[in-house]
Amino acid sequence: MGRYALKRVSLMLVTLFLITLMCFVLIRMLPPAELPMNDPHTKVVQARREAAGYNKPYLVQFWIFLRNIFTKGDWGVSDVLYFGQEVSTIFVSKLPATMVVNLYSIVLSIPIGIAFGIWAALKKNTITDDIISTFTMALISVPSFVYAFVIQYVFAYKLGWFPFLMKQGTDWFSWAMFKSMIPAVLSLSLGVIAGFTRTTRAELTEVLTSEFMLLARTKGLTKVQATVRHALKNCMVIIVPSIFGEFISILSGSLIIEKLFSIPGVGMLYLNSINGRDYPMFMLLTVFYTAIGLVAAIVVDISYGFIDPRIRMGSRK
Amino acid sequence: MKKLMAVLLIAVLVLGTVFAKGMTENQQTATTTTAAETTVQFDSTKEYVYKDSVSTMATNWNPHTYQTSDDSYPADFIRAGLYTFLFNDESRPVEGKEPYAGYVIVPEMAAEMPVDVTEKVKAEHPEFGIPESATAGYAYVIDLNPLAQWQDGTPINADTYVESMKRLLDPKLLNYRATDYYSQSLSIAGAEGYANSGNSVRKVNSADGEAMDYQIADLVKGADGVYTTPEGYVCYFGLNEGYAWLSGNALSLYNAYGYVPAATWEAISPLADEDGFVPVTDESIAILFGFTGSADWGFETKEQLGYYVSYDFSYPEVDFSTVGIMKTGEYQITLVLSKALAGFNLLYNLSSNWIVEPKLYDACLTESEGVWSSTYNTSVETTLSYGPYIMTDYQADKHMRFEKNPNWYGWTDGKHTYVDPYDGKTYTLYQTTAVDTQVVAEAATRKLMFLKGELMGYGLQAEDYDTYRNSEYCYATPSETIYFLILNGYKDAIESREAADNFDTSKYDLQTLTILNFRKAVAVTYDKELFAATVSPARSGGYGIIGTAYLYDPETGSRYRDTDQAKKALCDFYSIDISKYASLDDAVASITGYDPVTAKALYAEAFKEALELGYITDADNDGVCDQTIQIEYSMSSDSDFMTRTINYLNEKMNEVTEGTPFAGKIVFVKSAPYGNDWSNKIKNGLADTVLAGWSGSAFDPFSLTDLYVNPSYQYDAQWFDATTIQMTLTVNGETLTTDLRTWSDALNGTTVTIGDKEYCFGSEIADVNTRLDILSALEGQFLQTYDYLPMLQNGSMALLSQQVYRVVEEYNPIMGRGGIAYMKYNYDETEWAAYVAAQGGELKY
Repeated sequence: MGRYALKRVSLMLVTLFLITLMCFVLIRMLPPAELPMNDPHTKVVQARREAAGYNKPYLVQFWIFLRNIFTKGDWGVSDVLYFGQEVSTIFVSKLPATMVVNLYSIVLSIPIGIAFGIWAALKKNTITDDIISTFTMALISVPSFVYAFVIQYVFAYKLGWFPFLMKQGTDWFSWAMFKSMIPAVLSLSLGVIAGFTRTTRAELTEVLTSEFMLLARTKGLTKVQATVRHALKNCMVIIVPSIFGEFISILSGSLIIEKLFSIPGVGMLYLNSINGRDYPMFMLLTVFYTAIGLVAAIVVDISYGFIDPRIRMGSRK
Repeated sequence: MKKLMAVLLIAVLVLGTVFAKGMTENQQTATTTTAAETTVQFDSTKEYVYKDSVSTMATNWNPHTYQTSDDSYPADFIRAGLYTFLFNDESRPVEGKEPYAGYVIVPEMAAEMPVDVTEKVKAEHPEFGIPESATAGYAYVIDLNPLAQWQDGTPINADTYVESMKRLLDPKLLNYRATDYYSQSLSIAGAEGYANSGNSVRKVNSADGEAMDYQIADLVKGADGVYTTPEGYVCYFGLNEGYAWLSGNALSLYNAYGYVPAATWEAISPLADEDGFVPVTDESIAILFGFTGSADWGFETKEQLGYYVSYDFSYPEVDFSTVGIMKTGEYQITLVLSKALAGFNLLYNLSSNWIVEPKLYDACLTESEGVWSSTYNTSVETTLSYGPYIMTDYQADKHMRFEKNPNWYGWTDGKHTYVDPYDGKTYTLYQTTAVDTQVVAEAATRKLMFLKGELMGYGLQAEDYDTYRNSEYCYATPSETIYFLILNGYKDAIESREAADNFDTSKYDLQTLTILNFRKAVAVTYDKELFAATVSPARSGGYGIIGTAYLYDPETGSRYRDTDQAKKALCDFYSIDISKYASLDDAVASITGYDPVTAKALYAEAFKEALELGYITDADNDGVCDQTIQIEYSMSSDSDFMTRTINYLNEKMNEVTEGTPFAGKIVFVKSAPYGNDWSNKIKNGLADTVLAGWSGSAFDPFSLTDLYVNPSYQYDAQWFDATTIQMTLTVNGETLTTDLRTWSDALNGTTVTIGDKEYCFGSEIADVNTRLDILSALEGQFLQTYDYLPMLQNGSMALLSQQVYRVVEEYNPIMGRGGIAYMKYNYDETEWAAYVAAQGGELKY
């Protein structure tokens, strides 16, 4: 397992390097944002581009890019969105808000989603299953910003239980902050809950009809014991990787939800950096998300071995 | 006895001293009491928070580098100009103005009004190049407010101003706002040279389209055949350069629209480098002049080729001592300008400020690969205030908060007061104790928060107007633009369109649109206020070419539309008989732009003319036009607004033409979405109408006339030549006749020849009444073309929270409604929370 993990990490680094190189070259091949003549900022941006080697071969430019990262931790300076400010500082300042909101969402969604999925599977083809399945389909089909508006209107405006917007500040784990995040967390969670419910129900339904479950019951286990000890464990091979999939979305944030609840996160940053052609910001975000995606893939793969001992990673046989 | 006398004397002295002391104390108390009575102090234990929202939060409010209006948001709270605007009230009345109908300009960070020292500086500092003939307007001594200090108590003195300017113009920092101090009205001597010291730039030969740096005849041909300036700077024709001579447009744009002959472009474009610059050679001169000197381009002279020239220029290395800002006292600076500036314009330009805290500023600078960046004014830690508030919290893209600056001189200097028109008492400005601003991106959320009492204002959206436009808390704010319906009058283009194979002249007609009576009829077909209420409720009806927000005298805030001349121009155009009304105001108030009786008569008249001209037919002699007059609306992109507009135009047209030969025969149709090409379609007669408008400087309505006489700007240049229309006016007892273009040029400062005499009616040259006479006469002439039918006065509407009220309800183009300085509170925070709860948590507006 250790060698396998090492090999995967090595491959991941190579992949990350190649993706970064490709993105970098493609971005530098694009025409840079036009600079108005006789604008003093034009001179500043031109000077920055000169320093970044814009008039040099792409590989030299890439070398300068890597050199600045590894020797100075310098990912560049924002040309458009946060003029003159370091993109890494901006990014780091925005990541916690996205992570915390989505973390709460995941923490809320997984147990509820799995619980509903189990319930629906155990009550398969009953009215309970029908109701849960209908709600699941409805929640999956409707975009999260629709719930967001409804939640904001009902809970913040009509009932006044929660504030309209996420609280300002960086006290991420205070009660006031948590309370202010609830509408956003709910908006994000409903779809995720539905997703987990559907996945769990589908897997569990299938497992519950397996022969080994019949064997478990015949050897004297109660239905609950058989479900928890055997059926659910089998389902986890599918459910756990999807949890990691959700983890990636934790970091990417949600554009609409962040906008609606005024969450100062990274959700809008990626889109704005593309629209605003703020290439230093875009490169940082690209490298970060690529790295997160690759790490998540390794973790998912390795997790199979822990969840199901029959799966052996890197085995020569 | 002596002892008794001594005791008595001592007793008298003691009593006298005590009495005198008591008198002094009593007098002081009385004075204090008087002062306390004159200015009402707000209860300092109460909290008054202005809860604001923005769609985009400021990211950089450094006065040297900020770019957007979002970034300038904190400036009103944390900074102050050398001079500021205060409302005209009982304590500072403006002659001839009702209280709160105007404003006064007073020293703020300055101690006194600027003193003109042009003659003195000209004699003592010839290095600043003040023209020999100049006697005023080039140099000013400004005494600084000695009470001003940074929020940490550091004094702000002359050094602060000089050092800040030095950093602003520092050539290595390349600050975005540096050009504000040399390329605009306020141009500090030597600022351009220092800001560009040692740099090479490519300069345009004529920055304003009038004066040239070098005449063509002055250029020197080099050995390689390329012309240079006498100093040796290489000259170019810039094909992609937006020259002032071309109203900021580039030759390549004219080529794109087919104005430049293909042969010319094919000959000159291969000579250009990748940026579109063609070296000036005999060959390029011959090619370009072959076009600009032709009839197609208006027979320009060879000398006028200089307007298409750019040249490389290297700024010599200079130091900061060459810049026209000097410390002439601990609290005194002298500003030397390269262009004369005086009066309102000088004070207005000095109502913003360039100062930064030098130590903090320098600490925020970083250099990488020769490029400098600054984090000054990007966070609480890098922000020092000297205004009424300090920044206490900032979270990027989320929240900012400002609280009262205890070190602001304005709380105690007795100058920052106003008289409340509601109770006649005097108050200190800025009752607001804190400004709390959040990013709320969605209008729907803003509305809910506002109705919950969590925001102070809410800008109405289209769906809100029916509900809130008549609310007592709703405020309308006009802006400069008038939107008019432009009517196509380009006969050649219309004939070409009708001649196209796919145009069925038996069913449709376009030419009738060019008949004057038809255009007059359209002009009185629509009720402007109803139109505004239907298609764009935030706006109001538009009646003239010049909108209601323009000030002809910014020193007093007097508006053009309020003048008798402007009112008469409207009455003349709308055929209002002033003698039938009690006053001119009543006559103007009666104008709706809607006269169905006259419209029907004009349509009938137009029908006869169109028949005679053969534009339309009436084969069955039923008195109804056989063709449909199809008016294509030049649309940039489709929208609900477009649909509402077209539907309204058609609906009202059908109502008014009922019973006329054009009943049901005039139809507005949407064009294809033309994108940015919509204006070219109109200008070239390829579409027939559009709702469009101009806006200009709110302080200069006079300059708007150029937009209607200058082919570079005119929408109707292809069918209206302002040089062919004569206008006669009596000016100072002289009867003068000349064309509209010449009148406009003279009004805007050009010396023109009328008859055999020279005249100029520019600002500060002619008296304002003469200028108003000319402006209103020109406006009347432009309206009489019926090329532009005024429809909408641009504006917006917003609700104001019940927690506050405005001291001044009428909008002022310069001061708005007083902003945060004049905001008064009906409830403090505690009272407001109780009030909102008492309303069930949902407020009614």
